[in-house]
Amino acid sequence: MGHRHVQRERMANLNWQKYLLALIITAAIFGTAFYFAARIDSQRIADIRATEKSISIDILSSETQFELLGNLDCPTISQNPVLQTELNSLASRLSVSEQNLGSDNAEVVYLKKQYSLLEIKDYLLMQQIAQKCHLKPVFVLYFYSNAGDCADCARAGDVLTYMRGQYPGLRVYSFDYNLDLSALKTLASLRTLNGNLPAFIINNRAPVYGFKTLDQLEALIPELKTLATSTDSTGSPQAVATPILYR
Amino acid sequence: MDIGVLGIYICLFIGLYFEVFLLISFLEKRPAPKTQTLPMRYPGVAIIVPCWNKAQTLEGTVRSLLAIEYPKDKLSIVIVDDGSTDDTLRAAMQFAQNPQVKVFHKENEGSKYGALNFGLAHSAGELVGCLDADSFVAPDALLEIVKQFEANPETMAVAPALKVNHPKKMLELMQSVEYTFGIFYKKMFDNLGAISVIPGPFSIYRRELFERVGPFRKAHHTEDMEMAFRMHSHGLTITNAHTALVYTNVPSTVHALVRQRTRWSRGFLENSRDYSYMYLNQKYGNFGMLILPFGLTAFAAGIYAGGYVLFHLLSWALGRALDLWITRIPPHVPSLWHVEWFYLNTSMLTLLVVAVLGMTLTTIILGGKIAQTRLSFKSYFSYFALFGFVAPLWLVRAAWDTATSSERGWLT
Repeated sequence: MGHRHVQRERMANLNWQKYLLALIITAAIFGTAFYFAARIDSQRIADIRATEKSISIDILSSETQFELLGNLDCPTISQNPVLQTELNSLASRLSVSEQNLGSDNAEVVYLKKQYSLLEIKDYLLMQQIAQKCHLKPVFVLYFYSNAGDCADCARAGDVLTYMRGQYPGLRVYSFDYNLDLSALKTLASLRTLNGNLPAFIINNRAPVYGFKTLDQLEALIPELKTLATSTDSTGSPQAVATPILYR
Repeated sequence: MDIGVLGIYICLFIGLYFEVFLLISFLEKRPAPKTQTLPMRYPGVAIIVPCWNKAQTLEGTVRSLLAIEYPKDKLSIVIVDDGSTDDTLRAAMQFAQNPQVKVFHKENEGSKYGALNFGLAHSAGELVGCLDADSFVAPDALLEIVKQFEANPETMAVAPALKVNHPKKMLELMQSVEYTFGIFYKKMFDNLGAISVIPGPFSIYRRELFERVGPFRKAHHTEDMEMAFRMHSHGLTITNAHTALVYTNVPSTVHALVRQRTRWSRGFLENSRDYSYMYLNQKYGNFGMLILPFGLTAFAAGIYAGGYVLFHLLSWALGRALDLWITRIPPHVPSLWHVEWFYLNTSMLTLLVVAVLGMTLTTIILGGKIAQTRLSFKSYFSYFALFGFVAPLWLVRAAWDTATSSERGWLT
């Protein structure tokens, strides 16, 4: 009798409202986490957008200056690579956003297109400057895919990131081959790319296809000898540079 | 979303739900502070000290019992040497002349329950308790427990608040946080009428309990857990005296810890099977509807989350090593370029992990307040750095042993 009485008491003590309240609070915590994660991601997008705008103005300014004067302060330019640091920083930010939001996110795709255009413009401007100032820069145009059809692209990206850390003067421009951007398609067709990836175009020579180890890629760019290494100026090696967007 | 991450979200949701539930229970009924009031009556108490190869610690255990603030003629100590092969019996015999102490020697039966039942048969007193021979009681612990029995005549067993005795090594410090966490849990389970274990160190029972439900059973070497399950199945009340402090020695090596916890975890699985009818059964109140289902889910979640993290860590490390080998890039330290807000991981998953850790930290702090324990930074660090890596070891081993019905014996 006592046993049944206690069990009835226990059932009565089951406070379903508390079970429900705990569920609502837990769901609210999940909702809050979702909201803040989304807010921070949109802050990141805004930050990238602002950086792209700033780089775009800088490039336009350099182009205008170039056209106005027909000449530039060559020693200054050869010592301070134009916009390269900003472009690299932008690339690594885009890479983070791509990881967080997915490579097919409309906002990310839009920003990547803008980034690719800025890269192309910087590349063209730098070629003009090199011609005018008799510089011998080392350019690598790197085409990759992150659509799951290029298993070696990530590793090729690692090699280029490392090389850029070793040779700060090396200018790497990376492009998502699958990006639906007419300027990029024109660049790819001008350079006669056949669609095999990863693909490298080194100093406007014929494209090189397939994964290359660090040694192989260094051998493909003999001009690297003309570039200062990261240990030359600081005395200590700068092992890794900002990862460029090439995965 | 990848299916593996979905599993982690489910684990986090369940963990968070349980923590929220307990925090609501805490806000509903906060533990009362310790008072100086004394019991109205001092019932006779017998404390059984079962010991197997505890020559090193037995003396301290018995001396702590002799120092208890309780009328000497009302407190008896029954030392049961359970077939020790070391000097335990000699350590016990030094107290044989004390009128409060009785010393017995018996053959070992392969598990602790035999020594406890032997002690029950060779002791007297309205209340009877047990103290493992590697634990030490605070002088007023018994008074606090007797007050609990007095406050509620329906209470059949009272569990104390357990603390780690002088933790020094990293693994002991980790357990000191875990035990503090346990103090909060035990009190909240008490609020819910759903205490799931009546631990060996200084849990006290009304003697009539054994007449009603029978003696201790082997119960897969977890007789303390089985007794709690059996009491719930009979609708009997277990409470917690959070002001009764007991200090216990804990394993100081990973091997010993995993052995001990494997026994506990397996005991939970086996007893759950034996008492499966209580699961999700409203007749057993919060014990059946929340504590048992959550315990089993936490078991599975621990194995899943541990396996998930281990798999990803190993995949990442092997992937990086393979990349370096294939690319021929020399090993190097990554640059610190990314140390700015933009590169902080602020995914929903990370924020939820932070929320769960924050809740866990809150419960540890509350446990510390309940038992007036102050934990060092090193203790917190040891807990958060180690627990997630060692706990899956005993969970997996316990699951494996249960599935294969392996007999490992008492072991600790």
